[in-house]
Amino acid sequence: MTSYLTRRLSRVALVGTAAVAAMLLSACGNGLASGGGEKSDDGPIVLGMLTPLSGSSSAIGPYMKNGAQLAVDELNAKGGVNGRKLELKVEDEACDAKSATAGANKLVTAGVKVSVGGYCSGATLPTLPIFEKAGVPMLIPAANSNELVAQKKKNVFLINGTGVQQSDSALKFMKKVGATKVALMDDNTSYSKDIADTTAKLLTGSPALAGRESVTAGESDYSANVNAILKGQPDFIYWTGYYQEGGLIIRQLRQAGYTGKIMVADGSVDQKLVDIAGPEAAAGVFATMTQTPETIQGAEKWIADYTSKFGAAPGPYSTQAYDAVRVAAEAVTKAGSTDGDAVIKALEGIDGFQLFSGPLKFTPEHTLSSGGFQILVVENGKIVLEDTLQ
Amino acid sequence: MTQLLWNGLFVGSFYALVALGYTMVYGIIRLLNFAHGDLYMLGAFVGFGVLSVAGGLATGLGFVALLIVMLIAMLVTGTAGLLLERVAYRPLRGAPRLSVLITAVGASFALEYGMRLVAGPNPEVYPVRLAGDPVNLLGARITIQQASLIVIAVLLMAGLQWLVMGTETGRAMRAISQDPTAALYMGINVDAVIARTFFIGSALAGAAGVMAGGYYGKIDFLMGFVIGLKAFTAAVIGGIGNVKGAMLGGLTLGLLESIGTHWIGGQWRDVFAFTFLIIFLTLRPTGILGERVTERV
Repeated sequence: MTSYLTRRLSRVALVGTAAVAAMLLSACGNGLASGGGEKSDDGPIVLGMLTPLSGSSSAIGPYMKNGAQLAVDELNAKGGVNGRKLELKVEDEACDAKSATAGANKLVTAGVKVSVGGYCSGATLPTLPIFEKAGVPMLIPAANSNELVAQKKKNVFLINGTGVQQSDSALKFMKKVGATKVALMDDNTSYSKDIADTTAKLLTGSPALAGRESVTAGESDYSANVNAILKGQPDFIYWTGYYQEGGLIIRQLRQAGYTGKIMVADGSVDQKLVDIAGPEAAAGVFATMTQTPETIQGAEKWIADYTSKFGAAPGPYSTQAYDAVRVAAEAVTKAGSTDGDAVIKALEGIDGFQLFSGPLKFTPEHTLSSGGFQILVVENGKIVLEDTLQ
Repeated sequence: MTQLLWNGLFVGSFYALVALGYTMVYGIIRLLNFAHGDLYMLGAFVGFGVLSVAGGLATGLGFVALLIVMLIAMLVTGTAGLLLERVAYRPLRGAPRLSVLITAVGASFALEYGMRLVAGPNPEVYPVRLAGDPVNLLGARITIQQASLIVIAVLLMAGLQWLVMGTETGRAMRAISQDPTAALYMGINVDAVIARTFFIGSALAGAAGVMAGGYYGKIDFLMGFVIGLKAFTAAVIGGIGNVKGAMLGGLTLGLLESIGTHWIGGQWRDVFAFTFLIIFLTLRPTGILGERVTERV
């Protein structure tokens, strides 16, 4: 009796599956790439974004979220992707591993097809296996530690320039301004140490490495670290951490009588850096940074669209988040489905798709083939473009 | 080398000011008040609030404005300490010590994330900054402002020492720390004295908060966490429960960090300082000035 019933049931299930498969086949046309796990094919395609909405980097969250939303709205106005609308789901990453993994699990449960978020590398890193297990491709717009791609996960793509590319640009600029002895300071986090390590490897001949120092984030007094770094008598100091400590370190370097050049990496590019250091101490500080809306030529119309839509000007990583959504849409269109493997294949095949940072083609490591870093400088208390390094 | 010592002393005087509150409260009711570092944060934010409201008036006065603001912040954090004791600790005075410890951790979180609700998660920058031209003293670069902050810290500590050793309240505090029940029988209002202890300890932390805000410039709702741990360490080095010990402990920890950073680099600083601490406490478990306490029945 039981076995009869089971057989009956399994036959019903088989027929059902066949029917669904047939429907899928007809719906997709070619049917080759259709995924197994899809529940419905006419609802919106959900894109997930993890971004800091609270915590030390919470200023960045809205910039990324709005940038992505702008792209979603533009694409939907043009009829969406494969006849389906796009929808953006945002979760708080808080620049903290615990919040980020919780957020990633929430997004996966909500059925996101592509992830277009990730700001802090240390918080993004633990989310990689979660998205990988769920078969969700990740287009990471901001986080750019080499560790993100070092594990060679096939679902991870970086839209921002990498630490290696940032270090290359930093070195280029150091040579340009004639630095001879360069000292590096980091805050011992994944992202910051990564840039310091790769830069240290490049500082072999001239300019030479004149010392390295790691500070503990979250403190106020870095005078001991400043003292230690000045032992090597550097004429150029490169800080690779975030702006909170960066501001304090710049101020304390100047107070200790250091008159040489100071440069900060992209995590420190924030108006608060200047506020914390004080405008006098921050004057003339350089920064390596990927393109921001203000420094991109010909982005005036985009900035105007963004400003009129959200009532505030775009900021760092608005453009990268916007691009991440567009790339995701392009890949889904090319793949003809939202199946993870098909989308990853489509992403790998993209060649020449126009981004703010130039035409897109991913390297075999899934990073940008050109990083697009440029040099900014603090002038009259504002951070402005100094050199495009072109 | 003089620069190293100077840096160490400067940081150490902040640790010492915060450590005093820890050690006073522990000395009198054997409670590790984990919310103490957050009262330092509260002081910094009260100072920030007052300075922002005062606006241009405060900026013109500079250092004097900071002194006035410091007094206001001390009153507010002192009162907050009173409230904390009344609400979170007094009802639990007869309870097992672990319960009170957990209440203290809870109070710490409540203060931190309460402040986050009020002031937001982003760091704030003090509108009045202490920055002066440094003068050269025996090979160390010292600004007048740094020196005056140290003088203020020393004055506050001297005042406290006088209060504990030279006044009636101080005598009552010392009596309670030896035996609260006996003190009660001798006609001491134990509750009132404990409340006063909390007020004084919290006010000192508030003063340190305003000084840190004015000197370093950046404040955020989690700023009390690290310094709270450091001050606790300083109190233990000095011999917890001992007022002079807390001052010595703060300065010792500051110097250890400064020298450790210089010799073996910033990433090894805490390893250096805390290895030293472990060795020191193994050899002398009661700290620099701590007394061997014999359990009385």
